[in-house]
Amino acid sequence: MTAVAEFEVLRRRTLRRQRRETLVGLLIFSAVLLLSFQRSQFFSSDIGGDPLGRIGDFLTRMVPDLKGDALLEDRRTTGSLAWWFYDLPVWLKLGWQTVEMAIVATVLGAIGGLLASFLCARNLMPIAAVRFAVRRTLEAIRTLPDLVLALLLVAAFGVGPLAGVITLAISTMGGLGKLFAEINEEVDARQLEAMEASGTGLIRKIRYGVIPQVLPNYASYALIRLEGNLGGAAALGIVGAGGIGIELQRAITYTEFDTYLAILLLIVGMIFLIDMASEAIRHRLIGLGEAR
Amino acid sequence: MTRENHARALLLAPQAMRASGTARLRRMGLVLLGVAAFVAMCVDLKLAPEAMLAGMDKFGQLAAGAFPPSDGGDLPRILKALAETFAMAFAGTVLAAIAAVPLGILGAKTVVGQPVLHFAFRRVLDWFRGVPALVWALILVSAFGLGPFGGVIALALADVPSLAKLFSEAIENGDERPLDGVRAAGASPLMVLRYGLAPQVTPIMASQVLFFLESNFRNAAVLGIVGAGGIGFELEERIRIFAFDQVVFIIGLYMICVAALDTLSQQLRKRLA
Repeated sequence: MTAVAEFEVLRRRTLRRQRRETLVGLLIFSAVLLLSFQRSQFFSSDIGGDPLGRIGDFLTRMVPDLKGDALLEDRRTTGSLAWWFYDLPVWLKLGWQTVEMAIVATVLGAIGGLLASFLCARNLMPIAAVRFAVRRTLEAIRTLPDLVLALLLVAAFGVGPLAGVITLAISTMGGLGKLFAEINEEVDARQLEAMEASGTGLIRKIRYGVIPQVLPNYASYALIRLEGNLGGAAALGIVGAGGIGIELQRAITYTEFDTYLAILLLIVGMIFLIDMASEAIRHRLIGLGEAR
Repeated sequence: MTRENHARALLLAPQAMRASGTARLRRMGLVLLGVAAFVAMCVDLKLAPEAMLAGMDKFGQLAAGAFPPSDGGDLPRILKALAETFAMAFAGTVLAAIAAVPLGILGAKTVVGQPVLHFAFRRVLDWFRGVPALVWALILVSAFGLGPFGGVIALALADVPSLAKLFSEAIENGDERPLDGVRAAGASPLMVLRYGLAPQVTPIMASQVLFFLESNFRNAAVLGIVGAGGIGFELEERIRIFAFDQVVFIIGLYMICVAALDTLSQQLRKRLA
């Protein structure tokens, strides 16, 4: 057999195998997708069929009835901006409460995560059993959705921001504990060795050898987490755990779809502001500010 | 560094060992300010130790009532709800991926070169990236009625901005040279995309979509709280009647399913890479 013929045989075989794999993959995928659409009543006719039409209809209901010539009138005038955002002071207050919840929970969660991270970092915790137990606990926390935890905690701690803060703090601990442990494991051992060689004690070793290496990374991860927690805190109010979510719930109870959009825009703006602030701080921390 | 060495170093080169007096003062002031702000926020949120202790006490009671966990004789219904939750996650992820492909292409700097347009498009995606699925679900369930349909759309809406951003980054990071090669062989623009770009970006995109499927399966569990069906609905119902033995059973079962899906998806992603 010539080399060309051999190549052709090989090529045909590879192509056939690839096609077979693609076909099997596609079949499984379509079956699961079909079942999913069926289970989730996506095209179910008893709720009207036509999903796209209903989405369009819903979007038009969300847009407020603003009138161009009355935009800047007071809130008693139908069609003005003030009329659309009719409860702005209350929303701003609850929005600030949401921000506070996110900040307090992030700080508490970061402290918890810091303690946990020392217990599960390979280079700091010599006992394997402790590392294993702490790691598994953190994993379990990460699996549990925030809002399920919030439901449980609202049942125990009652309605209010306390349950929300505890929820977010626990889930933050789960997330940051793992990331902090990774930072701890990446500490450059050579600096510590150099200090050891000059006879440095443990406290000074941590102060001059470990902290300068890890602190910017800790802070950077905690700030990223803060951004996520703000969105989380906004949703928590829906189950009664404090913050702006309660107003979303109220708007839905009275089917005020345009009010819902107003509050949603406030939340988006809030997240945007915190994102910008946090990004600025993070860039300064990792020294991007000077580099630019 | 022994104690004496440390003292000597401080004397010889104070700047190397310790920041100047004003810098230290400023840092201390900032720390104090931060602590004060934190305490003020705690007070404003009414995070009192008594409330905390009372809650812990109540939580202990609830937890004591949760053992041993039981299925409450409703296992088939719970399994059905779990399947529904997975169905919502899967359908939502697929819809989000389909919507995110064109948006991702539009958001890629290499496709839409105009900087202002690119910036504006990315920013709009960024704004909506932070809105959690539950916030979408609340209004969608109200609009479309109780049932999983609203949940599917909510998951899709919450994912589209992040997926589109990841897709456009994947496209931007694609290597230009294979495209040039295919072009040099005389291929049409469509063929260039199919044979030059697609083989580079599809595995990355697929792996990102799998990642979102995992996270959506976690998120889908909470959508039932606002009436979007699935396991969240069963959970909420049982928490409301304080049937915590069943709650613990469902949460345990659900966590096993999450772990199973994570493992499966990890295997698939490893094959893609």
